[in-house]
Amino acid sequence: MRSFSYASARDSADAARMAGRTPGAAFIAGGTDLLNLMKDGVQHHPHLIDVNKLDLSRVTESASGLHIGGLARMRQVAEHHAVRARFPVLAEALLASASPQVRNMATIGGNLLQRTRCGYFRDTGSACNKRVPGSGCPALQGWNRGHAVLGTSDSCIATHPSDLAVALTALDATVHVLGPAGARRIPVGEFYRLPGDTPQIETSLRPAELITAVEVPRYPAASRSRYLKVRDRATFEFAVVSVAAALHLRGHFVRDIRLAFGGIATKPWRSAEAEAELRGKNLTVQRVEQAGRVLVRAAVPRQDNAFKVELVQRALVELVLDLGGLR
Amino acid sequence: MTSLVGRPVARVDGRAKVTGAARYPADNPVPGALHGFLVTSEVTKGEVTDIDTSAALAHPGVVAVLTHRDMPRLTVPPFPYLKGFIPMQDTVIHHAGQPVAIVVAHTVEQAHGAATLVAVRYRAERPRAVIDDAAESPYLPPPFRDRRNEFQRGDAAAAWAQAEICVEARCSSATRHHNPIEPHATTAQWDGDRLTLHETAQGVNLTKGVIAAVFALQTENVRVVAPYLGGGFGAKGPVWSHTIINAAAARILRRPVRLVLSRAQMYTMAGHRSEFRQHIRLGATRAGKLTALLTTTTAQLSNTDESIFNTCESARFLYDCPNLHIRQEGVRLDVATSSYMRSPETTAHFGLETALDELSWALDMDPLELRRRNHTEFNQETGQRFGSKHLLQCYDLASRAFGWSQRKRRPGATKDGDEYVGWGMATEMHTFAAMPSTASVTVGLDGKAVLRVATQDIGTGTYTIVSQIVADAMGVPLDAVQAHIGDTALPVAGVSAASATIASVCGSVDRAARAARDAVVRLAVADDRSPLFGVPSDEVETRHGHLIHTRNHERRDSYRAVVSRSGKPVEATGSVPNLPGLSYGVVFAEVRVHARLGSVRVTRVVTAHDIGRVMNRRTARGQVIGGVTWGIGHALMEHTVYDRNTGRVVNPNLSTYLVPVCADAPPALEALFVDEPDPGSTALGARGFGETPITGVPAAIGNAIYHATGRRVRDLPITQDKLL
Ligand SMILES: Cc1cc2nc3c(=O)[nH]c(=O)nc-3n(C[C@H](O)[C@H](O)[C@H](O)COP(=O)(O)OP(=O)(O)OC[C@H]3O[C@@H](n4cnc5c(N)ncnc54)[C@H](O)[C@@H]3O)c2cc1C
Ligand code: SF4
Repeated sequence: MRSFSYASARDSADAARMAGRTPGAAFIAGGTDLLNLMKDGVQHHPHLIDVNKLDLSRVTESASGLHIGGLARMRQVAEHHAVRARFPVLAEALLASASPQVRNMATIGGNLLQRTRCGYFRDTGSACNKRVPGSGCPALQGWNRGHAVLGTSDSCIATHPSDLAVALTALDATVHVLGPAGARRIPVGEFYRLPGDTPQIETSLRPAELITAVEVPRYPAASRSRYLKVRDRATFEFAVVSVAAALHLRGHFVRDIRLAFGGIATKPWRSAEAEAELRGKNLTVQRVEQAGRVLVRAAVPRQDNAFKVELVQRALVELVLDLGGLR
Repeated sequence: MTSLVGRPVARVDGRAKVTGAARYPADNPVPGALHGFLVTSEVTKGEVTDIDTSAALAHPGVVAVLTHRDMPRLTVPPFPYLKGFIPMQDTVIHHAGQPVAIVVAHTVEQAHGAATLVAVRYRAERPRAVIDDAAESPYLPPPFRDRRNEFQRGDAAAAWAQAEICVEARCSSATRHHNPIEPHATTAQWDGDRLTLHETAQGVNLTKGVIAAVFALQTENVRVVAPYLGGGFGAKGPVWSHTIINAAAARILRRPVRLVLSRAQMYTMAGHRSEFRQHIRLGATRAGKLTALLTTTTAQLSNTDESIFNTCESARFLYDCPNLHIRQEGVRLDVATSSYMRSPETTAHFGLETALDELSWALDMDPLELRRRNHTEFNQETGQRFGSKHLLQCYDLASRAFGWSQRKRRPGATKDGDEYVGWGMATEMHTFAAMPSTASVTVGLDGKAVLRVATQDIGTGTYTIVSQIVADAMGVPLDAVQAHIGDTALPVAGVSAASATIASVCGSVDRAARAARDAVVRLAVADDRSPLFGVPSDEVETRHGHLIHTRNHERRDSYRAVVSRSGKPVEATGSVPNLPGLSYGVVFAEVRVHARLGSVRVTRVVTAHDIGRVMNRRTARGQVIGGVTWGIGHALMEHTVYDRNTGRVVNPNLSTYLVPVCADAPPALEALFVDEPDPGSTALGARGFGETPITGVPAAIGNAIYHATGRRVRDLPITQDKLL
């Protein structure tokens, strides 16, 4: 790790201003990802702006939905009664993330901006287009068990690691940001970008913009929602594949369904086509299986990750049938 | 007095450890110590063509940046230095992560920061890192030390050709790393030609010998200190190159230097379990009697060393089989040198116990019954009867506790909700080593006993067990005993590896304590100020710190009174040469496999072991919990990945190299012991045990998965994609 200077911001505007003034500066919230990246030499920041003192950690519920402060801790959100009662997929995704110790420290804003777990990205001795643009992507021909089958490019096939982001993507959340040029609201579907030939650019966040909140709209499906995470050990591990589903049923009739996937794509993956196979129809095993087939139609499997194409379809069937009471 | 030995005595060092009072090697303050950090090779094969250290030297706090240009010429030491070469002696790169420079600075942070500024240029060649990419076919390496790599008995090929039932399997397992939670750490402090090392060493005396050879020092001029260890698992048995480089740097700079490996560096610098292939064939009669056992193993070797660690001891010794052929082959690859890892024998034992399970299905015979039919009371190589072997009793104890007789004789027959339930078993076996040792016990004027012996506590409970032995032998309470270990300044003992600690030190500790007791008794009965004056020595018993006339309990004295009256401490020593041997056991496992997602949970494990006398039930059970958990990691998740194009380890951290977490440990674990003292033991009836309770676990889990699902997976780890 290289040495850096440090300052604590008083309020959001102060934080954005400070960041705008210092090129290469980074916000530090829980530090649970940033510090690892800096210690491993993956990122160097000459200046850190501590945002932990900002008054952005409240979770509130209103008629329109849920408002989660950008500095709320993962644990706090997972335990919030409104989240558990009316947005269970969020609580489940958070509780399936990391460990209790990490969740006590880690914030919602930091979670959305955590970097990929691709081993080449985190090893400065390897090439990686995301870390050093233009240096190449060894994962294409190398070890790609953890990598994406959807949304990939010839430049990068890394998955986005956040479980929370998958759940928020299913629920059509909005990210609130504040930058030197003012505040903006970004639908989560537009927040993450596909790698294309610029995998180093992961979000539509502009320089020095701070995540101040995440807003989750209230709609009927949200309260019947779940998160299924399949992984290589019982806990404390990122998803091999994951599914977030929200379902609004009348009898067996699907009035509304939202599906998002983790572990299989370069960004939290929403599949409108898969949803369309189910929305406005009666829920049957065959239709869910068909939705799975539609989901992976464009999948590009590679040597070590081909099994994900099958596994994610099974996970989808598992979760939606459970949620729909068909199992 | 009730005996402490055998009881589940809590760790005497437990409080010091959980309160942070215990000083691990890197915690020990060494005045004026500088901090080193290694710069390691990015390429896997080739040569360093240029190193520019100017930016690093300009970094605040940096004292020196040393490269091959600065290192003294050193002697490549013999075993247990396993690497075959010392890095930074020339420009050749043998593996990725090989040290190419050491940065020394006033603080750890400065050294780390400056290390990122050292600019190294390489000439790189295309490496080969995995067995599939080997340029040549496997070969039979020469003996490693005195150990052959080929064993033959009878005519195995002919017996296999004529066998009534044949089973043939090809198994594999991935490279694994030890991952002790405490990284390797070394602090070198020179005083002229004298060197003190604060070292994460499983064997202080072993380290001392190696370091003396490297620097051509008199052995008595080297002192190695390691009072506590945060896990070793074999990784800290051999001496590795970072210790040598750091000591050389300290000598050049004439300042003490401390070096702690980063987690990533531990994946290239401190050994690993080789990637491994095994071809195994079993021939048997229809009654299930083994007639032929043939196995050829292939290990991933480095280009600088060809030692084979993952040997086939269980094929040689465990079952009765007249015809045997073992070949332990290897292929040379551009990887760092492998080494011992708890238990090296596990790797090949997986193949044997898997093949036996397959044979049991081929015979339609209970796999436990198959093992009983091939049980032997005789050493298959010498023909001698084992002095003490209670494996059959282990089978009885554990199978009863597990409820094995209820097992369904069809794969896939039990489903509970979304999961298939399966049961599997495997025999466990491990050959333990034993080294000569000497211990001393000093009884101070305060009547307390101080034990000195240069063994180690690698987390297994040595402090506690040696204290129990002294307390029992002398008849003093546990808190009247203080043990000093982990320092070459103490009486000589061997390495804490190969499950050798108990087998190597119990006898000498007991002798020293008894000799000290006898000496104090003699002082008492000869002292006219003692109430015991004139009592024959053999009529004095010792209890609770007191010396008591056996026929008249009113006549008593105390250790404290006797020794303080005499005015000087009483010291005695004891030595025992010790003998190696075998420990046995069996493991039964229940798994649940998700019917559609393929995820595996190990839900219930029962073990029974024959380890001679159980010295401490609590620490012995600790070894079983650790062994079973480790075995779960081995079976289901652990694997080190090399990039086939670059030869670099792609997952050198605990976030992507998965080890089991608490939630992976079985919710129910029962650890049973036969607890029969071994009459041949020199260690109070005990045998070496630490590594035994992992040996059968991977096969038991694989066999249970087969029973659950009908799917036979012979390639470890059994990740869920293999079960979809
Ligand atoms: C061992 C381990 C296991 C994990 N397992 C999982 C898992 O299973 N699932 C999962 O989803 N996550 C997992 N994580 C990731 C964890 O959730 C993230 O590290 C955490 O959420 C990051 O939050 P933080 O507050 O610590 O962010 P920091 O580390 O402080 O920051 C991360 C990044 O976000 C930026 N940042 C932080 N806050 C803001 C803000 N308000 N506005 C703008 N930028 C900001 C920082 O500049 C930095 O670039 C794991 C982490 C660890 C260490
Ligand atoms: S997949 Fe992306 S992050 Fe991984 S090595 Fe390739 S470019 Fe880098």
